[in-house]
Amino acid sequence: MTTQAIGTSRGGIDAGIAVRAYLAVTGIVLLLMMLFGFTMRLAQAQWINIEPNTFYMILTMHGSGMVGITGLSGAAVMWYFVRRHVPVSTGVFVANLVFFLVGALLILGSGFIGGFAGAWTFLYPLPEHSGGLWSANAAAFYMLGLLVIGVGFLLLHLDVLRGIISVYGGLGAGLGAKQAFGLAPEKDGPPPAVAAATMASISNIVGIVIGAVVLVLMLVTLYVPSFTFNTLLAKNLIYYFGHTFINVTIYMAVIAVYEILPMHTHRAWKTNRAFYLAWVLSTLMVLTVYPHHLLMDFAMPTWMLIAGQIISWVSGLPVLLVTAFGALTNVYRSGIKWSVAAGLVFIGVAGWAIGVIPAIADGTVIVNSVMHNTQWVPGHFHTYLLLGMVAMMLGFMAYIGGGRAPSRLGPAGLWTFLIGGAIFVLAFLAGGAASVPRRYAVHLPGWLPYDRVGVIGAGLVVIGTSLLVTRFFLALRSPMSGDGIR
Amino acid sequence: MRRIARYKLLLAACVAWACLWLPPLRSMLESDMTLHMTVQLPLLTAIGVMLAMVLRPHEPCWFADADWLGIPGVLLAIFTTSLWMLPRMLDLALGNVSIDLLKFASLPLLAGLPLGLSWPRVPALGRAFLWANLISMLATMGGLYLGAPQRLCAYYRLDQQSAAGTALVAIAIVLGLAWFIVLFIGAPSPAKPRSADKSRINERFGWGASHTFPRS
Amino acid sequence: MKRGFIPLLGLVLLIGVSALARATDGFQAVTSDGARQLSVARHPRSIPDVRLIDQNGHSFSLADYRGKTLLVDFIYTRCPTLCGVLGNDFHRVLAAMPNKQLDLLSVSFDPANDDHEALKLYGDRFGATAPRWRIAVAADRRGLDALLRTFGVVVIPDGIGGFVHDGFIYVVDQHGRFANIIEPNASAQMIEAAMRPAKP
Repeated sequence: MTTQAIGTSRGGIDAGIAVRAYLAVTGIVLLLMMLFGFTMRLAQAQWINIEPNTFYMILTMHGSGMVGITGLSGAAVMWYFVRRHVPVSTGVFVANLVFFLVGALLILGSGFIGGFAGAWTFLYPLPEHSGGLWSANAAAFYMLGLLVIGVGFLLLHLDVLRGIISVYGGLGAGLGAKQAFGLAPEKDGPPPAVAAATMASISNIVGIVIGAVVLVLMLVTLYVPSFTFNTLLAKNLIYYFGHTFINVTIYMAVIAVYEILPMHTHRAWKTNRAFYLAWVLSTLMVLTVYPHHLLMDFAMPTWMLIAGQIISWVSGLPVLLVTAFGALTNVYRSGIKWSVAAGLVFIGVAGWAIGVIPAIADGTVIVNSVMHNTQWVPGHFHTYLLLGMVAMMLGFMAYIGGGRAPSRLGPAGLWTFLIGGAIFVLAFLAGGAASVPRRYAVHLPGWLPYDRVGVIGAGLVVIGTSLLVTRFFLALRSPMSGDGIR
Repeated sequence: MRRIARYKLLLAACVAWACLWLPPLRSMLESDMTLHMTVQLPLLTAIGVMLAMVLRPHEPCWFADADWLGIPGVLLAIFTTSLWMLPRMLDLALGNVSIDLLKFASLPLLAGLPLGLSWPRVPALGRAFLWANLISMLATMGGLYLGAPQRLCAYYRLDQQSAAGTALVAIAIVLGLAWFIVLFIGAPSPAKPRSADKSRINERFGWGASHTFPRS
Repeated sequence: MKRGFIPLLGLVLLIGVSALARATDGFQAVTSDGARQLSVARHPRSIPDVRLIDQNGHSFSLADYRGKTLLVDFIYTRCPTLCGVLGNDFHRVLAAMPNKQLDLLSVSFDPANDDHEALKLYGDRFGATAPRWRIAVAADRRGLDALLRTFGVVVIPDGIGGFVHDGFIYVVDQHGRFANIIEPNASAQMIEAAMRPAKP
């Protein structure tokens, strides 16, 4: 399709500045949230002492902040690359950042001022039964913050879909549905960025609409106690929203792989029938797999749990496989000249692939009932989120603003991040295998070795990320590099 | 629209309005909470939209000017419809004919009419956002009625209330699916669009007429 | 942005917010029950002087209760559910406060079926004796309607031959004013608190 030369927008905000603003916010918030995580690991290792209530508040802030910032940076990746193919509005893109910042302030206020510690999963009716730890207003600020952020993302995804429809005619065409089922020639299919953006936007819109339902319901029950709500249904809705939102961050970030690797290998990313089929299937599965978060809820209908188990075994696989194979074939014997950006997105694909293995284990009912409340779970999701999604996103950050930075900073940051990340997630996984529970503020002496190794890993991750983020900020000072943004 | 067609539409709107008000239909639709909320209230709003189609050529200039991007008009419609979604207002309308009359006047004139006049001025993205919001708010209302352990309306039984909740959730799901299917299939030939096609696609995207979103 | 947008927007916001505020008594009540609770607490309502006939066939007037606190509930004797709960509640009130300046009145809203035989049977089930606890019907339809209207009680057919109605207990103070509403299943303390004399 048409690769439009979309220049600096008319009269409005420059798209390049907007993407850099997204990444600048991402760098700061990501580091802050990593420091929260580091603090929790330090407290569990008993190297510092913090109140359990504070620990749970930090846990809540770390969870919501990380989900939010991966969503935001994923959106930046998606928007930046999809606008090479379809017309999208910079105004809406910037509006999303503003909504995000307002929502983030509300959420930080709910935690650090209001003491809200109901976890980012805000399971009903916990926010309204705090046992005096936080007020109804604090819970309301938290949920309002999520709603505001949701409004921004809803607008952004709707605008991306509007752009895709205006060029490709429909969402089916944007996804390459005809190509997937062999009804149209592969060469007429949409570029990878468009297919991924279509899938991500459809999924996130569905998730956000459902999330808005449960958030408004909970806000009403918070202030009008005569209204109540089925707790299991609420949990279903919350996990539908949460599962979809966090998964979509990966599907948005993976666009960086499709776009950045080919620039280094000088080979186009191959979009064949399997590629489109994978994205079609993943769309369906991301929207139906959420019951694997409720495998411990015996009150759930059995068929949903079984479906959740089966779908979760295969849900991540299609896109992961075409991406991993695609990345390998793209790189293999290409004479690639590695850069920090290419290295990071490649690590991202590997981290995602490896992280899916323990995830599949946890998606199995009999394993889940033993492992789900252990550190196995933060172990697996940190593998594909930190070493997968965040690595891809840092690769994008390096690509956007790496050209003029001191040359040593990038590789040093990359290796520290990689080694630290590996130690950090292995400490979680090993702790989980040894039945160390997750989300505990106070740990038993027998668990401390895992925690202390985890602290070392977390510390290295913070250092590595700081180096990469510093590199990005240093590059901001120089005039914008010719990285193709305009 | 041609003059004759306009008169026919006006006539149809007025006949529908009168029929809905006359006792057999009115008492039937108001005897059940589901019918009241999902048939009578939307029909009354639709009458207002019909009136808007008739009156559009006579729309006062100042309103067309001041109704920037359709925001004030849509907002008025949102206020009016939310008012009649309150359980207390349903009770008042059932217990008091003059309040019911107010409902019969305000839904067409203060919800349907401004909505119909403003909708074409709302940008495609705004319309899509309103659709998404409508779907989520219908499901939320439905969820509240389904979950409430006691009766919220004095004039309706608990079983009617939960049936109304189910109906609202079902409508939300059907609207969502229908919207998705329309967008998924999209234009019949997914080809390089000419500029004329673009507005048609924008039309489908927001489910309404004309206007493309001004790109910044 | 066009001319006149801000004034029009402001006008719409003003009308919309004030209409919603009015319809919810300042964003405090979304149901008729909630609105009635607020209204009665702010402005106790004088009750009409209706003539009723009790389970012994004696005629009496609501004005006879002046100077005493009166708890009123609305029942029908064929009721399989809620009226039994209400009867038990009244029984508990009598047991908890035997010497209070307090009378009880259960008004049937089903005069077609509730003759004084039926009223007496209902009263006997919960140990009600007139005049302390009267089970009564209004002497005429107008009186019943006036009572239902004053207390804001809505009775609708339940579709299986009976009625759907509320389970509140209504408090009439010594000055003959409808002054408070007690939620179903209230504890004795809550009932006692609700009966405390309001401002004259």
